[in-house]
Order: sequence, then structure tokens, then C-alpha cells
Amino acid sequence: MSIGVLDSVTTESPTAARATWSAFRRNPLGMISMVVLALIVLVAIFAPLIVASPSGYGGEVLQAPSGAHLFGTDNLGRDVFAEVVWGTRISVLVAAASSALAIVIGVLVAMLGAYFPKADTVIGTVVDLCLSLPVLPLMILVTALAGTSVLTEILIIAFFSWPEVARVVRSQALSAVRLPYMDAARLTGGSSTWIIRKHLLPAVAPVVVVSVALTSSRAVLTAASLAFLGLGGVTNWSWGRILFEAEQSGAMSSAWWTTLFPSLAMLVLVVSATLISITYNDARNPRSRED
Amino acid sequence: MRIRVPIIVVAALAAAATVAACSPAPPKSAGGGSGSGTLTIATTTDVVNFNPLVGNSRTDDWVTDLMYPRLLTIDANGNKEPYLAKDFGYSNPTTGYYDIRDDMKWSDGQPVTAADVAYTINAILKDKPAGNTTYGQMSNVINATAPSATKVELHLSRPDSTVISEVGFWMNVVPQHVFAPHGSVATFPNNSNWVSAGPYKLVSAVKGQSYTLDRVTPYPFAPNNTPTLQKIVYRVYPDINSEILALKNGDVDLIGNSLPPAQVKSLQTAAGIKVQEAPGLGYEHMAFNMTKKPLDNLQVRQALADSVDYNAIRSVVLQGQAVTTGSSPIPPVLKDWVDPSLKEYTYDPNKAKQLLAQAGVSNLKLNMIYSLADPVSSQAATIIKDDEAKAGITINLEGQERNTYLANTASGNYDIYLGNFAIMDDPTTNMSLTYLPGGAINYSQVNDPALSSLITQAQATTDKATQKTLITQAATMVHNDVYDDVMYMQNLYFAYSDKYSGFVVKPSELLSLLDPQSLANVKTTG
Amino acid sequence: MPPVVRFAVRRLGRAVLTLWFASTVTFLLLRLLPGNPALAVASPNMTVQARNILLHQYGLDQPLLTQYGKYLWQLLHGNLGISFTQQVPVSSVLMSRLPWTLLLTGSSLIVTVAVGIPLGVLAATRPHKVLDRLVQVFGVGVQSLFVPTVGIFLLFVFGLQLHWLPIGGAYTPGVYGGAWYVSVLSHLVLPCVSLMLVQLGSYVLTLRATLIDSLGEDYTVLANAKGLANRTVVWKHALRNALLPTTTLIGLQLGYLVGGAVLTETVFAYPGIGRGIYEAVTQLDYPVLQGAFVLLAATVVVVNMLTDLAYGVLDPRVRTA
Repeated sequence: MSIGVLDSVTTESPTAARATWSAFRRNPLGMISMVVLALIVLVAIFAPLIVASPSGYGGEVLQAPSGAHLFGTDNLGRDVFAEVVWGTRISVLVAAASSALAIVIGVLVAMLGAYFPKADTVIGTVVDLCLSLPVLPLMILVTALAGTSVLTEILIIAFFSWPEVARVVRSQALSAVRLPYMDAARLTGGSSTWIIRKHLLPAVAPVVVVSVALTSSRAVLTAASLAFLGLGGVTNWSWGRILFEAEQSGAMSSAWWTTLFPSLAMLVLVVSATLISITYNDARNPRSRED
Repeated sequence: MRIRVPIIVVAALAAAATVAACSPAPPKSAGGGSGSGTLTIATTTDVVNFNPLVGNSRTDDWVTDLMYPRLLTIDANGNKEPYLAKDFGYSNPTTGYYDIRDDMKWSDGQPVTAADVAYTINAILKDKPAGNTTYGQMSNVINATAPSATKVELHLSRPDSTVISEVGFWMNVVPQHVFAPHGSVATFPNNSNWVSAGPYKLVSAVKGQSYTLDRVTPYPFAPNNTPTLQKIVYRVYPDINSEILALKNGDVDLIGNSLPPAQVKSLQTAAGIKVQEAPGLGYEHMAFNMTKKPLDNLQVRQALADSVDYNAIRSVVLQGQAVTTGSSPIPPVLKDWVDPSLKEYTYDPNKAKQLLAQAGVSNLKLNMIYSLADPVSSQAATIIKDDEAKAGITINLEGQERNTYLANTASGNYDIYLGNFAIMDDPTTNMSLTYLPGGAINYSQVNDPALSSLITQAQATTDKATQKTLITQAATMVHNDVYDDVMYMQNLYFAYSDKYSGFVVKPSELLSLLDPQSLANVKTTG
Repeated sequence: MPPVVRFAVRRLGRAVLTLWFASTVTFLLLRLLPGNPALAVASPNMTVQARNILLHQYGLDQPLLTQYGKYLWQLLHGNLGISFTQQVPVSSVLMSRLPWTLLLTGSSLIVTVAVGIPLGVLAATRPHKVLDRLVQVFGVGVQSLFVPTVGIFLLFVFGLQLHWLPIGGAYTPGVYGGAWYVSVLSHLVLPCVSLMLVQLGSYVLTLRATLIDSLGEDYTVLANAKGLANRTVVWKHALRNALLPTTTLIGLQLGYLVGGAVLTETVFAYPGIGRGIYEAVTQLDYPVLQGAFVLLAATVVVVNMLTDLAYGVLDPRVRTA
């Protein structure tokens, strides 16, 4: 929930991109995070090549980590390592898809507001009102009523995440439309869509980049929270489902490995995504750049 | 730093004020009797409603059972035993009766009378309280009367051999003089100034947190008419893991819910903790929705039943804490009713494939619904899915949140239903609910006139031997025609601190160690 | 109209709008998504007719607009209705939980700010040095923690292993007077700490970012030039400015926090409103849900007013305007 990180994003001129990248490269935190994130995505894609799908039940229930079971076994004797690896797929998918959707909605709404001042009062108010809603309880409510599936989960998370995106992008877009070159574009008679695409969109692009990292990492935690409360799907493995099953079977109280590893996986994903956005932000900001 | 101070001060003052408003006042006086001691019981669900005629959650039952007596109780073999009723039966085919004890008193001094019993029955019939279990069992009851202070009569519209034992076991008797002034029992919250017939009485209730009950005397089922402990406290732990930690830590003395199977072993060896086994009184079953093709075909149902390794489910999911029922709907705990000649469906994927081929069914895809709130079903489901796959049947698992699940079971929107029948205390009643067309839990939607006839005959006869013959025939039919696929009966385990002893063990999670007679006799050993 | 009055009127209008929005969204979600409270409440032994009678009692068989009109009318009179399952007024259901929610979120907020400010200053005064990076990673790390895992870990270590703190609940039943306050405090520590951990990151990172910005601003440069001690510059001038975004953050997050503590309340068996909402969802108790969301919206409104006040005190530009 690092709302604050988003607020300090400043506008970037296109020529600064190179400087940003060179500053980014010099920050070890950002680079390490990039590698970790890439690894997680690879694990998600190539899960079947890494380990067989978690199945096979046996007498070896709740075994501590060992050579045979790197992350130990769960209450049905399934390999927790396999569950975490396979769980990466749905967890990453939910995070990516829901944040992508939230960003698309949020950016569209924000741009409309920024470009058409008449609509902005309404849009600004609606965004503010949405932000005042208690998000997690509402998601619990909607999931409980609408049912659990990966698709509904993605839609629900996206639906409750876009106002935050819209808020930051809107404030960025508002300051961009006031810049002189926008007036120039308007005077030369460019169409609205052309101006939005050519000038407004690039101006808010950096905020969007940061938003992607933040909304997706928040989506990972939200999905796990819903799953933990029994509101996630159980058709596919996800990190949330591992935690939910550990909770239900009472394994959390006695078998630390059933919760530690999926929680760590989430932690690593969220931390690396957030650090990338922070590093990117620092790198773009000439004042905080290390040169 | 001027601002930080005011914000914090304002916040702290506000917090202190609101919390101070919650500060409990010390009790005026404890209940009678000499012994002291408090037993703290953990439960995962909060009390929803204090009116036992409305009751929603398991904890509601536990708490209100300590105040509002049932007429009958169940012994370890599943037989109905006297409790408030000393004697019960039928004086003619359409009149049932209870003779009740004359030595039970409400905590405000009034005696518990037959008028209270008759009032409770008539009020349920009239007001139809929403969560009431008894209402559905009284479809043949016209009304109840109290010819004397200790005799209750139920007048029936047609012979019904189960109503006396079922109403006797399921219904809590409430004090007429407390409930009647409030009008409809369906909307009376009963959330303060409780009046109890013992062994304990609620004295304070803090939602989401704790419920404190004090001893009530005289209580005839305790030594010297006095419940042994002074207080019973229920504490709410929504998460089973913190509940277990709280027991180990001594914050609570007993976990009311049955333990997750995988935790039994580790708690049996934990220091200071004892684990008690109690028979289950229900079963886990799969019901194949016979209104959906090709599940109306016996061979297909047989194929589905033969592809599941029930032994594996019992040994892995339940850690061996379950027994087979021989694929019969009558669990072995009901010793008077069980038919040992019925044998479990044999696990044989090849035979299942042949059966499917004979039925001309290939590429069978079915969905199976179960409640995500039921961990044992959820885990069994994954094994069933894998087993059916070996016979070439694709099962689409639909673990659902409680409300979606309820909506789908009510509308018959599933191919296979997987779930737990928690309390199966009377085979006749339960078979009528499960296998009669229109039955409340007829999940396989079976409508077989021959089966229905057996069950309705059994309901009408008061002769136990005839009833048993009919029920055995019905159970055999259910078994052979795969109208239901009963997988096992779970044995339940309860953990408590070794500072306490003297619990009376009763079957099912509803009674277990928490039955009023059990809690009235607990001793402290430490 | 004097500016102060205009400001107050606008704020009040906004508050009413927020309350209306929250109540309408909840009302519509409950009616338009699938879900049948009669099924959730009634025993399976109940007949379909009995369930329909229930729906009638709940007023759910009326046209949507009629229901909505009645609901708003009742709401205007401060009547939140009667709980479907508990049959007591919704206000009493919620008021029994609200104090614990306020205590838990309020105390965690205070602790978060108290820990977050020094950490933010520590990082911002040494940008890109090792300590700064450590603080950043720590901030990001703690906000990525999964609450139940942390909760059970804390209970295991500080409860079961060390026996320092009790496990679960808001206090030990049967304790009165002074001991009761001690009991409340000792039960508060662990849930408060875990809530603090997950929100700490945002505060530390925001503070760090804004402090780095304001430390570079002209007036701090000027202050430095005037020869003030570095310590004074940081604490007096820059920090004062950095507190503005922190206040904003409190306003933005408390709304989430009050209802969003469901997981913390679940694991620590804390009787707060988040858990109450979760239980009402499983029981489809519409009136309790509607009331709870209105109450949460009201909390957001109140907090926003408080942060406005704090803004006025903090920011000279607002004060003189």
C-alpha cells in the first residue's frame, strides 16, 4: 500500500529516458529486483519442467523440509515445493491481469478527466468517493456473492484497484495539460485523440510504470487474503490456496513450512516489484539521482 | 512538533474513552454451591442468536443447551435416553407423550413444567423460527397440550413413529413465562436477563469475544444437585491455529470443535494436553444427481462409486480416524440399526471402465460441489477427483463459499454433491429427509416409489422390530442402486487441558464433551 | 459567505455525499449480486414457503426502488434496521465491536507514526547510503508480509514460547478493575504490532521521498547557509513539511485500515468490525452489512475532517488562506 511512492513521481521529458536508465542500472537494489522478478516469471511459465504437478497422497503428512521434500509436505502428504512452484502461475497471472485491467481503466478515466475539464469535476469526485470505500471488506462481500473463480477474482481486484491508479495518474495528467506544449498542440488544431495519444499519454507514462508495480504487488496480497478467508478458487494451485489449506487443517500451528514458503514467495515477488518502482522513480528524479 | 502531540493525545483519549465504556463491572454474587473453578472453552464460531428456537451456529447450540433442557439425550450408542422427560412414547397411533421430571427449576425459581414444553412446541408450529431444526420434523403434529404439570401430549394428524424421539432430542424447552410476553418466538432475540434450567446460566456476553455462564442450582444431573464448576466461559477463536496455540498456552482449557485430523497426533503427544475420542454421528457422502443424464443410469453410478479408493481417503484425509459404513446410510455407531451384511463398494477402476462401456458412456465430465468451509470434504474432493480420473471420468471440482453452495444445493445445480451429514440420530427420520421425493436433503433427487414406500411404512409403525426390517430393506436398496454413496463415518477428537477430568463422552460434535451433563460433572485435577 | 463557512459547507456536503455513496454501493451490491439470505438463515428442514415468508419479513420481495427508498428514509432517521440473524438493532451489533476496532487501529497508527518518522529521517538524511537502502528494503519488506503468517509466528514466539503475552481475544474474561486495563493492553500488543508492520512501509517510504525532496529545497539550503546546526534544519524545517504527506497518508489509509484488519482480527481473535463484516457476509445479514459500511464511511469522513484540521495547523499557507 505504498500510496506515498506514487505521489512523488515527477514529470519526465522524453530525452531523460537514457539518463534514467543509466541511473537505474547503477542501483543494485533495482537490478537485483529485476533479475528476481524475471526468475519468478520464468518459474511461472516453466513450472511443469521444474517439478511435477502437486498430487500423490501418502502417509508422509506434515513432514519437515528434507532432501526428498525441499519445502516439506502438507497435511495430505503433498510436496509443498511443487505447490509453491505451480502456485506461482495463478498468483502471477492474477497479479498481472488484475493490475493490467486496473491500469487500463484508471488511465482512461484519468485522461478523460484531465483532458475534458467539464467531466473532471465529476470524475474527480467519483474517484475520491471510490477511494473512501473500505476496499477489502467490499471485496469479501462481492466475492462471497459472485462466487470464486480466477476470472471473477481478477475482475474484482481490478474493479477495486482502478480508483487508486486514476487518482495518481489524474494529478499527473492535470499538471501535464497545463504545460505550454499542450496548448501549442491544441492551437495547431490537433484532434483530441491525437493530443491525448501523442502528448498526454507519454507525460503520464512514468506514473503508469510505477502504478503497474504497485497495483500488481497489492493484488498478490489481496488475492492471498481472500483465499485465506476461504474466498479463493481451489481448482488451481495458488499461493493463497496453500495458505488457506494450511489454515484450515490447523497446520499453521504446528508445521511452519506450510505457511513460510508461500508467504516468502509472495514477499519476494512484492518486494522486488516495489523496489523496481522505487529505483525507477529515484532514477528519474534528477534531484535524488546519485550523480 | 506541535501537531503530533494533539493528534496522538486526541486519538489516545478517544481510544481510552471508548475502551473504558466496555470495561466490565464485577459480578454481584456468584451462583450457589461450594466448589469453585472455571472451565474456558474455545470455539471457532461466534454466538449468533441466544434464542435456542432460532439458533444458527454450533456455538449457539452449545451455549443455549446449558440453559434450555432437551427432553431426551443420546448415549454413546446413539440410543435416546431420558433427560427432562422421564418417560416417552405413544398412548395411541396419533398421540405421543412425554412424562417430565418434577425436580427441574428455572433459575428465577419457577418450576420447569409440561406447560413450558407444550408452549415451546406450539410456538414453533405457529411462528416457524427460521433456523429451527425441529419444525421440519413436526409436519404431522397438530398441537401439543399439557394435561398435567408433568405430562405433555402431542396430537398427530397421522401415525408418526419418529416425532416423539426427534422432537425430544432436537428441541430445547424454553420458559413460557419469559418467552411468551415477547410475542413471536421467531423474532425474540433473548439477549439479556437470561433464565436457565441449568446447569449454567449466561451472565455476560461480549460479541465476538466471550460468553460467561454461572452455575445454576438445583441441577438434578450433577453431584448434590450442584454443577461442579462455578463458571463456564466460551471464548471465540475464529482461526483454528490460534485456537490450538491458546490451548497449549493455557488461555483456554478445552477446544469445543473437533480437531482437524492432521492435528490429533501432535496434540496427543503435547505436554499438559489430553485428547478424547468421541464417535461421530454422521457420515460423509457423495450424492449423484439423478435428474442429470447419464447419472440416472445405475451402471454409471456404480462406475463412479467403484472408482474411488475410500480406504485411501480414510487413511490420508482422516489419518485413519474414520470407519466404513459398508456404503450404507446407517453408520455403525447406531448399533441397534446397523446391517453388517452390507459391504463397501470395491475400489476397481477397471470394473468402472467396463461399467461405463456397458452403459455406452464415454468421456464423462461431471462437476462436484462442496463447501469450502468444510475442510474434510475439501480434502476428500481432491482425492476423489484423482481417483475418478483413473477410470476416465473427469471431475470438475467446485469448492464453493457457503452461500453459493447453499444456493446451488437448494436449486439442484450440480452433478455430484459432496458433503457431511453431521448428525444422524434416527435412521427413519434421516432416510425420509434424504430419500423421499421433496426431502430437505434429498441431494441425489431420488424418486423411487419402492424405496419411498419402505420409508413411509417405517415412519408409520411404532413397532421397533418391524421398523428395523423396513429400514434395513431401504438401506440395502440405497446401497445396491447407488442412490447414495456413503464414504465413511468420522471419529471425532477433542483436546483439553489435563487439569480437568470427569467429562462424559457423547457422540457427535454437538454433544461431545460439551453436553450439559458432561460439563456439570467436570472436576479440576490440578 | 465568508471563506470559512464556505469551506465548512463544502466539507459537509462532501461528507454527506460520501455516506450516501457508501450506503448506495452496498445496498446495490447486496441486491444485484446473487445471494438469498433466507437460505443462509433458514434450516434446510424449512420449506420453500417458510423461506418465502422470511424474504417477505425482510422486505426483500418488494421492488428494488421501494426497498431503496425505505432504506434511505430509515437511514436519515439514524435507523440501521434489525439484524436478520441476531434480531437486535444493527447499531447495537456494530457498537459492541467499534471500540475494539478503534483501539486496535488507533494504537497501531500511533505506533506506526512513532516508528516510521525516525526511520524515514534516518534514511532521508543519508540518501543512497547503506543505511538508507536497509531502511528502504525493510520498509518494502514489512509491507509485503502476509498478516496471518506473521500473526501466528508472533503468537507462537511471544505467547507459547516466551509466555510474555496472552493468545487471542481483547481481554481475559473474569478480570475486573485495574487488572482489566492491564489485560486489555497485553492482548493489544501483538495484533497492534502486526498491523503496524504492514502499514509501516508506506509511511517510511513516503517520509523518505518527501524529506529528500524538501531537504533539497531552497529554504533548507538557506537555513543551512545561515549556519544552523544540521540537526535543527532536518527536524525543524524539513520534517515539518514532510509531515503533510504523512497526514494525507493517514487520511487515505485509515479508511482501509478500519475495515481491512479482517485478517489480523481473525488470527488474533480480536472482536473488531472487520471480523464482524466477514461473519455478516457468511450469514448474508444485509442490515448488518449495510450498517457496517455506512459506519466505515462515517469513520473515513471523521478522519478526513481530522486530517483537514491537522493540515490547517501544519501548513501555514492553509491557515492564512
